[in-house]
Amino acid sequence: MPITITAPKPVRQLYEDQDDVMSDSDSDSQSSKDGGNNNKYKNMINMIKAESGAAATTTTRSSTKPTSHGEIVTPGEVITDDPQWMRGHGTFVAPATSAIISSVAGTISRTNKLLSVRPLRARYTPEVGDLIVGRIVEVQAKRWRVDVGATQLASLPLSAINLPGGILRKRTETDELQIRTFFAEGDLLVAEVQQLFADGGAVLHTRSLKYGKLRNGVFVAVSGMGGGGGVVRSRRQVWTMEAANGGGQIDVALGVNGFVWISKHVETPPDLLEKTAGITNIEESVSATMYSSQNDRIEAETMREIARIRGVVTALVENGLRVDEDMVMRGYHEAVEMAILSSAGPDDIYLGGERGQQLAAALTAI
Amino acid sequence: MPLDTSAYGLALLRVDGRRWNELRRMHAQIRTQAAADGSSYLEMGHTKVMCVVTGPSEPGPRRGGLGGTASGGGASSAQSKDAEVAVSIVVAGFSSVDRKRPGRGDKRILELQSTISSALAASLHTHLFPHSTISISLHVLSQDGSLLAALINAATLACVDAGIPMTDYVVACTAGSTSTYAANDEAADPLLDLNHQEEQELPGLTVATLGQTDRVAVLVCESRVQVSRLEGMLAVGVDGCKQVREILDRVVRDKGHRMLLEGTVERGAGLDDMEVD
Amino acid sequence: MASTTQHALLSPAELAYLHASLSLTPPIRPDGRSATQFRPLAAETGILPGTNGSARICFADGTEAIVGVKAEVERTRRGDGGREDDGGELGGGGGGGGGLGSRLEGDFVEGLEGDFVEGLEGTVFLGAMLAEALLASGEFAKKLWINRRFHWKLYLDILLISPPLSYPLPLLSLTTHLALLATRLPRLKSEGDEDPFFDDDWAAAPYLYTRTKDGKATSRPPVSLLVMAVGNNIIFDPSKEELAVADVALAVSVGEETTKTDEEVDESSSSLGRNLRLLSVRTIDPPSRLTPPGVPNATNSAYGAAATTQKQPEARAAESEAVEGVWKAPRGGAKALVMAALVQKSLVRGGVADEVLDALDAVDLVA
Repeated sequence: MPITITAPKPVRQLYEDQDDVMSDSDSDSQSSKDGGNNNKYKNMINMIKAESGAAATTTTRSSTKPTSHGEIVTPGEVITDDPQWMRGHGTFVAPATSAIISSVAGTISRTNKLLSVRPLRARYTPEVGDLIVGRIVEVQAKRWRVDVGATQLASLPLSAINLPGGILRKRTETDELQIRTFFAEGDLLVAEVQQLFADGGAVLHTRSLKYGKLRNGVFVAVSGMGGGGGVVRSRRQVWTMEAANGGGQIDVALGVNGFVWISKHVETPPDLLEKTAGITNIEESVSATMYSSQNDRIEAETMREIARIRGVVTALVENGLRVDEDMVMRGYHEAVEMAILSSAGPDDIYLGGERGQQLAAALTAI
Repeated sequence: MPLDTSAYGLALLRVDGRRWNELRRMHAQIRTQAAADGSSYLEMGHTKVMCVVTGPSEPGPRRGGLGGTASGGGASSAQSKDAEVAVSIVVAGFSSVDRKRPGRGDKRILELQSTISSALAASLHTHLFPHSTISISLHVLSQDGSLLAALINAATLACVDAGIPMTDYVVACTAGSTSTYAANDEAADPLLDLNHQEEQELPGLTVATLGQTDRVAVLVCESRVQVSRLEGMLAVGVDGCKQVREILDRVVRDKGHRMLLEGTVERGAGLDDMEVD
Repeated sequence: MASTTQHALLSPAELAYLHASLSLTPPIRPDGRSATQFRPLAAETGILPGTNGSARICFADGTEAIVGVKAEVERTRRGDGGREDDGGELGGGGGGGGGLGSRLEGDFVEGLEGDFVEGLEGTVFLGAMLAEALLASGEFAKKLWINRRFHWKLYLDILLISPPLSYPLPLLSLTTHLALLATRLPRLKSEGDEDPFFDDDWAAAPYLYTRTKDGKATSRPPVSLLVMAVGNNIIFDPSKEELAVADVALAVSVGEETTKTDEEVDESSSSLGRNLRLLSVRTIDPPSRLTPPGVPNATNSAYGAAATTQKQPEARAAESEAVEGVWKAPRGGAKALVMAALVQKSLVRGGVADEVLDALDAVDLVA
């Protein structure tokens, strides 16, 4: 079957009824008051005005009633007017008051005296220490501009990368002229957020052997943080896994920003390790391949398993599940099992549409 | 004139059977679209609009332009301290009763775009996203009056869905008056939420407020009306906005509750816990 | 030739990997689909009561389109040679001798702000391509005939709701197909050549594409498929990344052959699939030609300190030869054989186009 067409999910029913109830009750209450008498309209309007005048002071405050445990807050909702709290992300303080008001729809989180609201969904907000996967979109004189799926482009200064030929080498003018040989537009890299500008922009660095240019694999963007699935900050964002069906070892890098890179695991050639004695020498030899854009030879089996892992990640996201090491590993094993049972055999790697839903159901059932 | 005052005066019902202070059936959905940062679908009666929000995001260098002007691009974007709210409206040719060829440079569309853009920019916390752009793309699928109000409501919902911080919902609705300007009827009564027919025949205005407050974000009146009637119309409109806010707020809460139930969102800390320590 | 409007910004290493995996037999697609498999999609029709026909399709990745069809009665111009400026005109007709014309306007509206100007060029091309396929079979114009003096004028408005994550042709074509299948025109009550008047009862309105009793359409609008070739593999409905490494990409419009003269042959062959007819083929300039080439390790100046002394002439020499694992944009035009294979593969009875039409047929039609 080359194409699957499904009917759209029915989501409407959930609140339609309530809408009707609402408008009915509204009109009922008001019409019963006016009793169908034309002359009372003027009074009605005055009454509305009185109400709305009161609304400014009471109705907005009416939401000051303590939010029930763990519930959703929405923009404009007063979380608390107790001055002991400090406002964090997703909140603001109304001018000339101490009321902390939510500015997004989400759930409340607090750290000591700091109140913030986690949005149901939003773009990635960089934090120092985040491991991210990014794509170079612009090359400037002394830095790169990197798309990390945030509200602003991140920047990677030339001074924040490992230069070939040893970690301790001094940056030269030649390096500046050759900036494109390290990273050019379109290149993918894995990096860490080093610091944040006051305006929220992130500065990245790749000064570690774990970081640098990406090759030998596929990219998948899992847009949107928070609800509806996505990558969550966890203990380990990067790991190497043993693939089934002779796929060899595969590296998975889950960028906290929702960008994911899945690639063949490449060991440092053993002959290089033997030759080198000191730690700096290892780094030197590894950094030789650091800016390569040439893929190693990859077997079809490995490519198939890489595609399967990619399928698992997209299936997790499409079905609103979180993406972390545990879920990806469990999802992968489940997918391998599913493929063995499927008609096409273990080579069947398709996980879209209904297959993805099956997979998600199997994962959530455990 | 179907909405002749004499006919209205008898039953006090409008052509579509509503009373003077009734909104049409309003239905809304958020997150209609997986690919976008935020999206919404909104119906006010037979007026149906869709909204897709992209961003806030920083535009990369213009592709196809000269690559050498990298620093120039950086400088120009660095000057804007607030995010730009870019609104584009596409009115589908099939949206009205008679098919119209959509014109791109339509003055009316341009005016709607700038109205919505400035209304939202006032509520959205654009200062949090320097040098970025919030692109709001609105599609009109079906028109039956109160178009601007529907567009504003849909855009607000999509921005909430996109998780863009804002002071409060910007909610809008229309208000009119039961007799024409020419009739000069001092006793004319205000009407809430005009449909297309009423909009054609009667004076009307669109009002948007900042959430539950009386702070008016948008007030557009494109017809002639006696000043004495304006106050009543405005009061009814502002009251309608409060009802609209309730409806939109519940759409967002329902979505949030559903996500809580599905476990896609972590439960938050309740205020009760906070009181404890 | 038309260029695609959206470029996927991909690194040379990604491109090399994609190209390698798509060149395998069987190809391994990044989303795990088989070579002929389409992306899963959700479809509904009759979403807009104010139109004669409408449809909405969402792909799982979130791309979404809405099509609305509006019909108007228009007086058929006569005397000026019986020709209209638009292509949808047929000479002759029942027994009238007067020109019967039908005009189709494919208006495409781009929804994404960012691609405003670029998008506009592409949309004109896409609109033309969809209209061309519809008009290529003369059948369509005949359906719009009312009488010798009047005809229906059909407006198709296509709305791309989402940012274009992939080349939108298949999405738009499938949505248009569904909308047309759901389109109904009011039943004609007048007779002969008098001014037409119509039955108000919408339930009695016949479908533009006539149906059998059980709701199956007896004829169908065409579909345009996007097909591409990488190495020896032919791949249907490529995603944006896949298109970025295509050697050749084609938009193939396929319609159903109506064989009225040979009823019996048609009957017997219906079990095997439809008689498909090629309506039009357009080449799409694959974005792969504009991608930056990868640098082999041998010439990469950042590859170890020693390599920095490489001279320019050597680098240029190396660029012309292929190195395994290094991306190189395809050069030159498509080979005629490859093109023929692409077209053949989409037309084959019981093949992809056939199954796509079947699947679209199964969509519950509400109008």
